[in-house]
Amino acid sequence: MAIPNFLYKGNRVLLKELTKTDFKLRYQGSILGYLWALLRPLMMFAILYVVFGKLLRFGGDIPHYPVYLLAGTTLWAFFTECTNQGIQAIVTRGDLIRKICFPKYIVVVSATLTAVINLLINMVVVAIFALLDGIAPSWTWLLAPLVLFEFYCLALGISFLFGAINVKYRDITSIWDVLTQALFYAVPIIYPISMIIATSSIAAKIILLNPIAQVIQDFRYLVITPETITTWGYVGETNPALPFIPILLVIILLVWGSWYFRKKSKRFAEEI
Amino acid sequence: MSDIVVSVKNLHKSFKLPTERAWGLKQAIFNRLKGIKGYKEQKVLNGISFDVRKNEFIGIVGRNGSGKSTLLKTLAKIYFPEKGSININGTLVPFIELGVGFNPELSGRENIYLNGALLGFSNKEMDAMYDEIIDFAELRPFMDQKLKNYSSGMQVRLAFSIAIRAKGDILLLDEVLAVGDAAFQQKCADYFASIKGKQTVILVTHDMGNVTKYCTRAILIENGKIALDGDPEKIAKAYKKLWS
Repeated sequence: MAIPNFLYKGNRVLLKELTKTDFKLRYQGSILGYLWALLRPLMMFAILYVVFGKLLRFGGDIPHYPVYLLAGTTLWAFFTECTNQGIQAIVTRGDLIRKICFPKYIVVVSATLTAVINLLINMVVVAIFALLDGIAPSWTWLLAPLVLFEFYCLALGISFLFGAINVKYRDITSIWDVLTQALFYAVPIIYPISMIIATSSIAAKIILLNPIAQVIQDFRYLVITPETITTWGYVGETNPALPFIPILLVIILLVWGSWYFRKKSKRFAEEI
Repeated sequence: MSDIVVSVKNLHKSFKLPTERAWGLKQAIFNRLKGIKGYKEQKVLNGISFDVRKNEFIGIVGRNGSGKSTLLKTLAKIYFPEKGSININGTLVPFIELGVGFNPELSGRENIYLNGALLGFSNKEMDAMYDEIIDFAELRPFMDQKLKNYSSGMQVRLAFSIAIRAKGDILLLDEVLAVGDAAFQQKCADYFASIKGKQTVILVTHDMGNVTKYCTRAILIENGKIALDGDPEKIAKAYKKLWS
């Protein structure tokens, strides 16, 4: 236990094998196979674009609105996939946990890594769309992975925390289902944050303190247009310390989640 | 003594068994409000101590519910004991059930490597064992086929071969000694006869024939305690007397 657990070679091998298996089996038996990893967010985007972009005209004054929307839906798809798989991971791998001793966090990490692989593939699509839409590549693109990493930390923290509770109380799965539905509307994915600012500046600031909103807006700022209203720009105007709240939340969730998971994992084999 | 590979001291383990449907948040909140515990404590291991020497073949016997499997799972670190300690000197390879983690959609080869990873072996270590495993299982021509296309006999043969060919210092087995058809069962029996006294094995079983044939020592467990520990012949007799 002196060396950090994840550096131990056996654990890395297991993580690799489990992730490989997960990824290989995800789209097993479907004709389009891996293509679904791309098609699902794209189709989701198409629906939202027709309804909110074309019919309701939410995009109004935002430059490159289609790409702007695509980036939002792609990031959101990653978040839901990552947390859903992560929260379910321990329960779905119950057969293993009851019969073999191995670090339990590997199961959660491997489940979320599949979502990460999908996200990376989808990022290529976003980049292609951005170029097609006439967005010039900029050096700020290089900062995007940092924001994505923050997003992954958030999803992982949630997965650890709720995944551990889910072992005993399966209600979590349903609660999280509803919660993600609510969260989808609580962050500026389909609507531009400027719409909220127009009605209530306070509400907009609260929305932007949500780490998910911060990540999505930062990503759009870095990749699509510097005109994007970000937590740093908008909330930072009031108080330069406030924009650190989302990052602090992510750190707290990740630390608390892993601590709780670690504490509870001793009894997973009995309780599952 | 330096040749002690497993040292178990005063092991205690109990389970919290839900008294009614305590599954779900609603019931949990309900129970808390009413001051009901929602579970009862079941003591399964009640102060077990023993040492295992290198190359001993130990048979653990006892009636259903006596705590044998819990003991094995605690040794395998799947369960954490409330009290007491387990010291293990060397790598321990547990087989509580054959074919854990086997995936029907993966090929035989992929399943071997996945299973190996679950037991803590690196791909390199598995490369070294791979040929021995498939030769023992006699399944070389089928390695690239999906496991779901194997017959059930072939599946257990593969799982069993991984179990006995995995290069660990201590082998933990729960009632898995012979699988497959008569010829393969004979092969398993020969194998166990050949490792008697050469490899450390801890076996949980109900078959007294196996205890007297392979074990160098046996432990009888009753109500979570060690009732007898010693010569396999004597223990087998005592076991049969439990209900006659």
